[in-house]
Amino acid sequence: MSERNRNIDSDEEENYINWKIKKLKKQVRRSRRERKARQSCSAAPPADATDADKIKTVHKDTVDETEIENALVVTCSRMWILTMAPIDGTFDYDLAVIGGGSGGLACAKEAVNHGAKVAVLDYVTPSPLGTKWGLGGTCVNVGCIPKKLMHQAALLGESIHEAVSYGWEVPSPKDIKINWSSLTEAVQNHIKSVNWVTRVDLRDKKIEYINGLGEFKDAHTIVATMKNGSKKELTAKNVVIAVGGRPHYPDIPGAMEYCISSDDIFSLAYPPGKTLVVGAGYIGLECAGFLNSLGYSATVLVRSVPLRGFDQQMAHLVTAEMEERGVRFHHKCVPLSVEKLESGQLKARWQNTDTGEQCEDVFDTVLMATGRYALTKALNLPAAGVTVVNENGKISAPSEQTNVGHIFAVGDVLEGRPELTPVAIHAGRLLARRLFAAGVQHMDYDNIATTVFTPLEYGCVGLSEETAIARLGEDAVEVYHAYYKPTEFFIPQRNIRNCYLKAVAERASPQRVLGLHFVGPVAGEVIQGFAVAIKCGLTMEQLMNTVGIHPTVAEEFTRLNITKRSGKDPNPASCCS
Amino acid sequence: MFARKITNVFVRNSFIGQSTKLYRNISITTVKHDIVKIQSTDDFKEKVINSKVPVVVDFFATWCNPCRLLTPRLESIISENKGKVVLAKVDIDEQTDLALDYEVSSVPVLIAMKDGKVQHRLVGLQDTDKLRKWIEQFTNEESKAKVKA
Repeated sequence: MSERNRNIDSDEEENYINWKIKKLKKQVRRSRRERKARQSCSAAPPADATDADKIKTVHKDTVDETEIENALVVTCSRMWILTMAPIDGTFDYDLAVIGGGSGGLACAKEAVNHGAKVAVLDYVTPSPLGTKWGLGGTCVNVGCIPKKLMHQAALLGESIHEAVSYGWEVPSPKDIKINWSSLTEAVQNHIKSVNWVTRVDLRDKKIEYINGLGEFKDAHTIVATMKNGSKKELTAKNVVIAVGGRPHYPDIPGAMEYCISSDDIFSLAYPPGKTLVVGAGYIGLECAGFLNSLGYSATVLVRSVPLRGFDQQMAHLVTAEMEERGVRFHHKCVPLSVEKLESGQLKARWQNTDTGEQCEDVFDTVLMATGRYALTKALNLPAAGVTVVNENGKISAPSEQTNVGHIFAVGDVLEGRPELTPVAIHAGRLLARRLFAAGVQHMDYDNIATTVFTPLEYGCVGLSEETAIARLGEDAVEVYHAYYKPTEFFIPQRNIRNCYLKAVAERASPQRVLGLHFVGPVAGEVIQGFAVAIKCGLTMEQLMNTVGIHPTVAEEFTRLNITKRSGKDPNPASCCS
Repeated sequence: MFARKITNVFVRNSFIGQSTKLYRNISITTVKHDIVKIQSTDDFKEKVINSKVPVVVDFFATWCNPCRLLTPRLESIISENKGKVVLAKVDIDEQTDLALDYEVSSVPVLIAMKDGKVQHRLVGLQDTDKLRKWIEQFTNEESKAKVKA
């Protein structure tokens, strides 16, 4: 291959493709033989095995065809690349992963498990405030992990007060307050330990870790700029883009200079004090929620609706609960400016987009939670020939493959995919199997459960009521719903008004469940198992025939029996109110 | 995703002390600073690899609670030994390459070194008695070797 140059003539190209196809067919035949051999070792009853084998063989034939086709596409695109860069057929690595977050690391580890030589590049550009962190990506450093820990800190504070109702003698519960620096230190220590474990894991798996900012020089060559400015060049047969995203700052005076984001809050060197949160997506609501519970006044600016993209009835329960706990919401408001006062405090101004009315207030901290952008700009993608980048910087790559056959993308950089750690991990792993272990399985991005860790949590899986109605029509959708009372809420007389759940199902028998929604304590733990059920094709009948565990909040799903259509009261019976 | 592995970081499993023979230590080496913090790989080479006295290298992390408990115990034993043995402290986050070179995964890790060679390795939090025995044994082996020579 080394003598191939820019002037490849078409005959040579055809020869090469034919040779490659032959080789691939051989490979496929071999893997089929191996798979058969493996099957014969399994302990399945012989009578069933023949039938099953038949089906599998038929199925596999079709799969193999597509495999060859895919490989052909890859080969063709490689041909094009061969003319672009001086490649001698051998690369430094089988796989280079740009971005050491959840998706990139999962992909790298899986690839190594299948014998590939892998390099991972990871680099964190400091936030406008100067916050930086270690290996492991958003989730570990400035996302799910610190968020969940701060949420837990908030819940514990509430529990101290509830404990009094249960008979605990707490000396002066009114004086209980959080020590912000102890909290951030504990959270950051945990994160550092995870960074270390990740680092050791890479060493143990013999994955080359390069602490440098990667960019493409050409389709197979990546240049890493190290911390000290030196450059390191490497070539790889396959490249996975897993650079993720960073918080977006609105283009208003003072945003970059004085505001913080979720990148900074979990390691903030001083207590945030009275905080303005701009944005009511899940990041904004979670931050406002734990800050309020930790004792810091929180105000939220909502541009359009809270939790856009989520079921809106549930979103309103979440914000109603937050409001009842003291979080202030300004709806239909966009920020105009943030200026620093002599006192060091920040004066924020905003405008109501409906009435045009302008308001202002003084805060200690302004936190921007106005969305995230993908970090693709710094990658120099044009040099690699990757063109499937949208206006917002996201990569459009169904099945994770870009227009350049050997360049892939996983995680938050992908257009139209949920920005969730387990999604990135799963997609990364499956991609590595397809690349290095003749895998054929693709990521299923449907029915992925998630949870918003607001003071009262919201867990969901599948379709929202709005989406189900938009897709199937109102007449074809049945919604079962109920308000419920968690047993442990009675004694401390906790607010039960927003404890609510619903199942969105097809109206026609057997009433396949399309979506499950739950607002209440430990929503994530509740919804995870039900996500499996939905993956298995759960119907309302099966759900209603499931015996619950008493007393739990999750059992409420098995007790659903009132439809919205019936107009019956979904409130539980009460002894006194 | 990584969280489930965290418990492995703090290995409490400890070195099983073998029967130790006590030798009288006749050491004439005097070291001004018997507890040093390693600043770089070169620093490690100078103060550990090229050290004339035996060195206990303490690979620790600021975020590791067992490490915090170990530090005062270790330091008091080192000062008991009055310069016979040096303690070199290595922060694994600052000197990551060093830690990885010495195959540190869970912390704390203690490595007993003599003439740049690893003699013993002790992983996890130790109580003071075990620690004292371990260091005594190591330094005694040292004096035994000297006697033989």
